Amino acid sequence: MKTSRIRQIPNTVLGIVFLAIMLFPVYWMINTSLQSNGGAVNSTFFPYNPSFAGYAQALHDQSGNLLTSLIVSLGSVVLSLIIAAPAAYALAKFKLRWISIVLIALLIAQMIPGIVIANALYTAYNNLGLLNNIPGLILADASTSIPFAILILRAFMGSIPPSLIEAARVDGASHFRAFVSIVIPISRNSIITAGLFGFLFTWSDFIFALTLTTGGSVTPVTLGIYTYISSSVQNWAPVMATAVLSSIPAIVLLIVAQKYIAAGALGGAVK
Amino acid sequence: MTSATTVAPTASSPAVTARRGESPRRRGRGGERVVQWLFIAPAVVYIALFFGYPIVQNTLMSFQDYTTKTFFTGEAPWVGFANYATVIGSSLFSTTLINTGLFTVGSIIGQFVVGIALALFFRKKFPLNGVLRSLLLVPWLLPLIASSAVWKWMLDQDSGVINQSLQVLHLTAKGVPWLNDPNVALIAVIMVNIWLGIPFNVTILYSGLQDIPQELYEAGSLDGATGWKSFRYITWPNLRPVVSVVLVLGVVYTLKVLDIILGLTGGGPANSTETLATNAYHLSFVDFTFGAGAAVSNILIIISLLFSFIYLRVNRRAVDE
Amino acid sequence: MRKSTIAVAIAASVALAAAMTGCSSGSSSSGAAKALTVEDYYSQPNAGTFDKIYQACGKSIGVTVKSTHVPGAGLIAKVLQQSSSKTLPDVLMLDNPDVQQIASSGALSPLSNYGITGKGFAPGVLSAGTYKGDLYGLAPAVNSIALFYNTDILKAAGITPPKTWAELKTDASALTKGKQYGFAFSGINTYEGTWQFLPFMWTNGGDEKNIDTPQTAEALQLLTSMVQDGSTSKSVVNWAQSDVLNQFTAGKAAMMINGPWQFPVLAKFPNLHWATAPIPGKNATDVPVAPLGGETFNVPNTGNKANMSLAGKLVACITNDKNMVTEAKIGGYVPSKISIAAQVAASDPQIASFATIVKTARARTGELGAGWPAAATKIYTAEQLALTGKLSPAAALKQAQNG
Repeated sequence: MKTSRIRQIPNTVLGIVFLAIMLFPVYWMINTSLQSNGGAVNSTFFPYNPSFAGYAQALHDQSGNLLTSLIVSLGSVVLSLIIAAPAAYALAKFKLRWISIVLIALLIAQMIPGIVIANALYTAYNNLGLLNNIPGLILADASTSIPFAILILRAFMGSIPPSLIEAARVDGASHFRAFVSIVIPISRNSIITAGLFGFLFTWSDFIFALTLTTGGSVTPVTLGIYTYISSSVQNWAPVMATAVLSSIPAIVLLIVAQKYIAAGALGGAVK
Repeated sequence: MTSATTVAPTASSPAVTARRGESPRRRGRGGERVVQWLFIAPAVVYIALFFGYPIVQNTLMSFQDYTTKTFFTGEAPWVGFANYATVIGSSLFSTTLINTGLFTVGSIIGQFVVGIALALFFRKKFPLNGVLRSLLLVPWLLPLIASSAVWKWMLDQDSGVINQSLQVLHLTAKGVPWLNDPNVALIAVIMVNIWLGIPFNVTILYSGLQDIPQELYEAGSLDGATGWKSFRYITWPNLRPVVSVVLVLGVVYTLKVLDIILGLTGGGPANSTETLATNAYHLSFVDFTFGAGAAVSNILIIISLLFSFIYLRVNRRAVDE
Repeated sequence: MRKSTIAVAIAASVALAAAMTGCSSGSSSSGAAKALTVEDYYSQPNAGTFDKIYQACGKSIGVTVKSTHVPGAGLIAKVLQQSSSKTLPDVLMLDNPDVQQIASSGALSPLSNYGITGKGFAPGVLSAGTYKGDLYGLAPAVNSIALFYNTDILKAAGITPPKTWAELKTDASALTKGKQYGFAFSGINTYEGTWQFLPFMWTNGGDEKNIDTPQTAEALQLLTSMVQDGSTSKSVVNWAQSDVLNQFTAGKAAMMINGPWQFPVLAKFPNLHWATAPIPGKNATDVPVAPLGGETFNVPNTGNKANMSLAGKLVACITNDKNMVTEAKIGGYVPSKISIAAQVAASDPQIASFATIVKTARARTGELGAGWPAAATKIYTAEQLALTGKLSPAAALKQAQNG
């Protein structure tokens, strides 16, 4: 036993090397964010004299944008779960005639390039006064999370034993009651997965942030980063500090909700 | 969405047969169905508004002269296929089409090859395997634009860490013009996109590998199928359905990519990284010629839908198998 | 029929959205108002100075003024959005090459309605604000670009500022050492790249109506050859003007093309000694033609006649002799009236070299009007093709001209 473990060590080393290469950009992001005296010149490989001036600048410029992103992301999670959960249940359990068309529409919806949606929404939002508007962004951002959430939840809800629901129905509960009191509690884990991903999708959204706002009043943090890097970069520290701050949700979720993340990656692909 | 109807009859047949087996509760059957539809109605409305409407509107716009003037006057005259003619006739079109093709194919091959190599590697048992695998997901979870920012800095010709390292190693004298030379920029952008796609590929392929029953390998090894042979005759055939899904999804996702290119190069230099998606963005949101932008978007949709149908077919076959 | 249900559904979701925000979109007041709105893209500290001028002008005509400062990149999108929702401000600031395009959409009103004629303003300034014979926008102060050089580096090398293209080329080459390039300019694939190419193109007799000419090719050849011989960084194709400035302040470029709006930034580097000179022409005798920069003030067609007439008065005040001096000073601009510019130039040597340039400066939209953006795109496209070595300058211009 002990010898076989020792024999496996080279693989662990190799794995760590792979990972170090893959995560180097993340390291570089953190490293640069702590070197605010460098200007547009070189960073060193290690922040020997770490400075948090980059973070101070980033928070000064971007704290409002981080808050905007947070509000939009939470709103989008709530909206997509409210819409997706009942639909997923219906798609999994009800025998309705047109259900397979809805499913196909969902699969196709996932394939439609965001720029297509943005192009049409811009003119519609323009007429409706939804540009530069948080609810407008929430509605648009839900377009990435709703199809995903429906597919994930449907896969799980399909595996709920019918007897559980039948029992409640026999006791006289309506479909809605059965859904709220039985299905939702049982599906808790998959709802968390769908919610986490909905949050990440919206948090990272760039295309709607870029196209459905016209500057100033509502600026998600992704757009804040883009504004930093599309003009000149005199000092990379605040840019990287903002990138680090914008990556916190992803890192936190990976640590606290690791199992849901892997489940989501699989669920999204192989329905 | 016209072709959905052609798929529907076959796909819905299990549902029809299942319904026949249901106990006939004549009373309230109609009401029952209404209640059931209420569950799904919000989603249907949402899909119609945020997927159906954009496709229809985009198609209409592509036949209109929709410009800055339209915003003030509200008038967008019909121009037939003029937008398509302009877009396809411009010398930029062939460039963007080729770039889109190279970007997609290059990204997919890179992601897949590295992805399957790592997936096979992680199938081995060794300490920290699980931890390393989940940390590998980090690049996939970061906001794309944050990743673009750090890559833009790392690829900087004069001060970026990649060129600095290459210079220390004496592999290049003046530094590689990663994002400044039209012959290199597309390669650099593809590299970054491969980096982004590896975690997703590894995760899916790894789980596909885990689903292959261990007995197959045991039986195979009795017949002398080990190493390359076991991959060729056991792993690959069993993994094929998952591979198809990964590849097709990869293509469709890569066609959509906008964040990385806008973040790294903005489509330049000399349009060497301009793809259909970034071109549609530029036409609509920089030049404010929404009609032309819509025409390019529609060409992009057609290509995406083509792959979507391949995906649906592959997916159905994967389920059938 | 399907369309109407979609419309209803969208309306419903909008109602929801509006309820969620508490309906934040403002509505324009009716009748003669005591308050006017102004929209510009200035950022602090300039925005503060302009706010003071707006307030003072408002006071003098008996109204209060509320100003909004929009980020520069988002201004046109914002104006379009306001055009269609009929929420345009009473006074709108525009970057001068955008005036004709916005005027052609019908969103602006002629300034002659308010008795503003632009008498005494430099001809380039008037041409920039004129669409189909009517003056729609007036810039109180303008700028252009020039050659900035690091006096310490040039002195050490025994070089005086170049007066011809040949000198520019040899000087740039002589000043290139180690990490320091001799020359820097912006060749980016945006209008900024076009803007910096214009002095070379125009001074040599090139024209935006047709860029496929030997004169323009010669100008492009000059810049291309400097990139190719290494006296200019290959990164210029990705540099905006602010990147060019960074190279200059970091000592990585001995000379650069840039504008007077960078004076305040340069002032933050007390150890950096610099001066400006006109951008050289091919021959020392060539009359320099530089592009005119600056922002115009306009009165949008809001439909509210009383407000529009007050807005006209406000524009007249913002562009009056006294205010144009203040506005010019904060941004390193030159007053638009030739007589006033001469007074300011006499007391400020840094402005002086720009004052002469502005007198002959040419408006980008002077020839093509609303067709300028398309021509500008062609110019930077050709520039990128040539600078990156994809095509020869002549072939690049030909391809770009033919779309």
